[in-house]
Amino acid sequence: MADAPAKVNVTIVGGGTAGWMTAAALVKLLPTRCNVHLVESEAIGIVGVGEATLPHIRAFNERLGIDEAEFMATTRATFKLGIEFQHWGRVGDSYIHPFGTFGRGSGEPDFHHYWLRLRQAGHAVPDLENYSLACMMARLNRFALPNPDPDELTSTFGYAYQFDATLFAPYLRRLAEGLGARRTEGRIVEVVRDGESGDVSAVRLESGETIGGNLFIDCSGFVSLLLGKALGEPFQDWSKWLPNDRATAMPCRTETALTPYTGVIAMDAGWRWRIPLQHRTGNGYVYASAFLSDEKAAEALIASVEGEPIAAPRVLRFKAGRRERSWVGNVVGVGLASGFLEPLESTSIYLIQAAITALLELFPDGPIAPVLRDEFNRLVDLEYDRIRDFLILHYHATERSDSEFWNYVRTMEIPDTLKEKMELFRRRGRVVKYREGVFLDASWIAVYLGQGVIPAGHDMRADAPADDALLRAMETFRREVRATAEAMPDHRGHIQSYCPMAA
Amino acid sequence: MADGSIRHVLIAGGGIVGWSCAAMLKKRIPALAVTVVPLRPPADALADRIQATLPTIVYFHNDLGLTEADTVVRAASGFRLGTLFEGWADGLPPYVHGYGEHGRPFGTASFHQHWVRAARAGEGPPFDSYAPAAALGRAGRFAHPEAGGAYSYGLTLSPDRYRHLVRAYALHLGAVERPGDIAHVRVAADGGSIAAVELAAGATIEADLFVDASGPRALLRGALDLRFEEWGQWLPCDRIMISEAPPTAEPPVLDTIVAEAAGWRWRSSSPALATEGRVFSSAHEAPTDGAIALRQGRVSQPWLGNCVAIGDAAVRIEPLEWANLHLAHSAIDRLVAMMPDRDFSPVELWDYNRQVAAEADRVRDFLALHYVASRRSEPFWRAAAAAVPPPSLAHTMRLFQERGRLPIYDEESFNRDSWLAVLLGQGLLPRAADPLIDVVPPRESAAAMARMRDAVAAAVPGVPTHAAYLQSLSRQAAR
Repeated sequence: MADAPAKVNVTIVGGGTAGWMTAAALVKLLPTRCNVHLVESEAIGIVGVGEATLPHIRAFNERLGIDEAEFMATTRATFKLGIEFQHWGRVGDSYIHPFGTFGRGSGEPDFHHYWLRLRQAGHAVPDLENYSLACMMARLNRFALPNPDPDELTSTFGYAYQFDATLFAPYLRRLAEGLGARRTEGRIVEVVRDGESGDVSAVRLESGETIGGNLFIDCSGFVSLLLGKALGEPFQDWSKWLPNDRATAMPCRTETALTPYTGVIAMDAGWRWRIPLQHRTGNGYVYASAFLSDEKAAEALIASVEGEPIAAPRVLRFKAGRRERSWVGNVVGVGLASGFLEPLESTSIYLIQAAITALLELFPDGPIAPVLRDEFNRLVDLEYDRIRDFLILHYHATERSDSEFWNYVRTMEIPDTLKEKMELFRRRGRVVKYREGVFLDASWIAVYLGQGVIPAGHDMRADAPADDALLRAMETFRREVRATAEAMPDHRGHIQSYCPMAA
Repeated sequence: MADGSIRHVLIAGGGIVGWSCAAMLKKRIPALAVTVVPLRPPADALADRIQATLPTIVYFHNDLGLTEADTVVRAASGFRLGTLFEGWADGLPPYVHGYGEHGRPFGTASFHQHWVRAARAGEGPPFDSYAPAAALGRAGRFAHPEAGGAYSYGLTLSPDRYRHLVRAYALHLGAVERPGDIAHVRVAADGGSIAAVELAAGATIEADLFVDASGPRALLRGALDLRFEEWGQWLPCDRIMISEAPPTAEPPVLDTIVAEAAGWRWRSSSPALATEGRVFSSAHEAPTDGAIALRQGRVSQPWLGNCVAIGDAAVRIEPLEWANLHLAHSAIDRLVAMMPDRDFSPVELWDYNRQVAAEADRVRDFLALHYVASRRSEPFWRAAAAAVPPPSLAHTMRLFQERGRLPIYDEESFNRDSWLAVLLGQGLLPRAADPLIDVVPPRESAAAMARMRDAVAAAVPGVPTHAAYLQSLSRQAAR
């Protein structure tokens, strides 16, 4: 080859999910371009509390050559078809945000317009989830892998995992170290910067050891050691829209059903997660400290969980928002060091993955060209900003008035970008389409309709078929969905035959 | 249907754009009453006149329910697979912008990164030799791609025949024609919407929604406001000439676009008609008789109140990549999908205008790329290459030159392969290959690329000539 640039020395600050995902991806995919050195301190511990993920993680694992069954067995993972939201629009409500389509997901207009048309004409058609295979599989606790043939009904869903994040990082660590990543144990006491460029040139450890590098990946978590503390990159605070700033977590033994979905249950001052793994069920209460004390939150969590607790409640603190820029100078923030969005829609690992994907594609081969940083920040900002609006929607679209918390979020000012989206849906069931952004139409539709944002009209193209023909076709489809889901194996049974954890 | 629904649409314009809009409205929203005032399209209404169309026209026809027995055989259209560009960069051979894939991704990176690595080492044939569309196009051959195939195609229209077809179809679907000239556009008291149009013969037509397909003069939409975003600084040509010529015996599958001293010229041909045209800058070449003024840009808000401009009434752009009718079709698709109520809620119009603007601006970027990436010595071209591109194009080019990567924005009309065909065809090479392909040794890349190239070339002789293929379609249609 004509040019063989010198290898970039990459120093990753912080282990945990973000650090080891980054390390594994770099050594696996850019082995000739970088040396990877990860610094972490076992004394600091990681945030990972049991993670629900999005379907995108499958592409990440595949790229790293990870065997699915082995990975699932190691991390004691279960399958995830979506999220069940309880008590969000009103106390007693339940809806599923599926990783799949409503209808067959093909053709224009979208399926929900036909459904809206019939509802608006006064027909008593069943809830929209009856026309989604992913929703019906979740409701019936069924699972099978999707069919790759796009003409088949069984191709209309995707899936993700629910796994033990404290086992995921070590799994990736083995992989990364096996491919040549170096690891140094130690607490960082100083960040050394170049006087002229302002770039970070090294980190100094408690032991006195200094670790240099050309490119620093900040995976230090909330503390944001390099990006936030050393470089002082400002933090955009979104807590006026997303006031939750605490979580208290407490795992329990899995005794009840192994659901192929994550439970997200609205509470007085926030919401509670329920993430069923093979060996335990993750539970946690995400709340706003302005509306609830830590003690009350722990009490409420203990009162609501199923199964025998394995540990006492543990409190985490955070703030919603992101750094103005995630890549500054020679420092790239990945994960919590670059921003935080509460795990309401399981986006934490997705955001890590999105940053890593962008980094791989924009990896510098010498002095860092500004356009690489600009593009990285453009892509990462888009992800954060669009997820932000989607999360705010969950709080704002509610009729709940039974607590201070719900009164606040129901009546707060929301970003104009979300206001426009909601108004477009309310008028005509239209979902604003974007190219970048993780949540597609079906996600928005599920949350809008699930939380009482009901369109007044519909796409006029849905008026073309005759009433009785449409009613018949929808009923036939509903039955096909139901029968297809019923014919699938039970979720727990599928896991036991495919990826059982070691006893 | 709810009480607030739009019931009656009036379309001003009797060209391809106006009739296509009428047909699609009646097809997808049959309950609408659609009236067309078939104003003769003026000479500068390019979406009504340009023969060459993009692959999106095929989807538009599918949506309309028109088959190729109608749109190709009866309307005397030909197939087209791309454009041959000559003389855009001194020292480089002509290149083809063919529709569809250019190579296939393999190993850890997209195909073009392998190509770039080889090219930087001085190896490998041109980028277009990996595109089936380009190979078939150069050989003058055509057959329909298989499902999920490696190329797509547009049509070369015989505009008069095609317009007759679409008009007949719209009338068949229930659109109503009201011949006559528009003598006056009556603006409502609020100044922001149209109350009625008055025909020269004396009749007055009211409607809930007015669609302006009257060409650049924008007879209806222009009565409300004239705000316009100019593109002259990036697209420096301001004159166009079009003339008709007899068709050739073997209608070409590629249109030819040749750069000239102060602009470019083209030749397209359907089985029934050929057109030749020139696009140039009056600042660098004195206009002759027959040159039509071309003010490139877009209406700031194509939809205002109860009036929406489509086609040249909304976006005026040179036909360099044949996007004129594509943009009109896209506007029609949006109009049908986003049909609001009679209260024309601002947020719905805002969403429509946002999408149309994003789409038009990105087509502008793609066309401007041809000029910015040109390499010729004439003053016109030196000025064009030195122009500061719009920010979105500047970012695209910087990122490409640094890394061979393309940012993809919302509402792109031209996909990654198309951008690459022009960037690489005009000799813009990234500074370095993507680090992600290091794990594939160059030898392996070279072997895989050779196999793809051979497969592309080997498929050509088995495909009929364009003329032979058209004849076989005619015979089928006649059965």
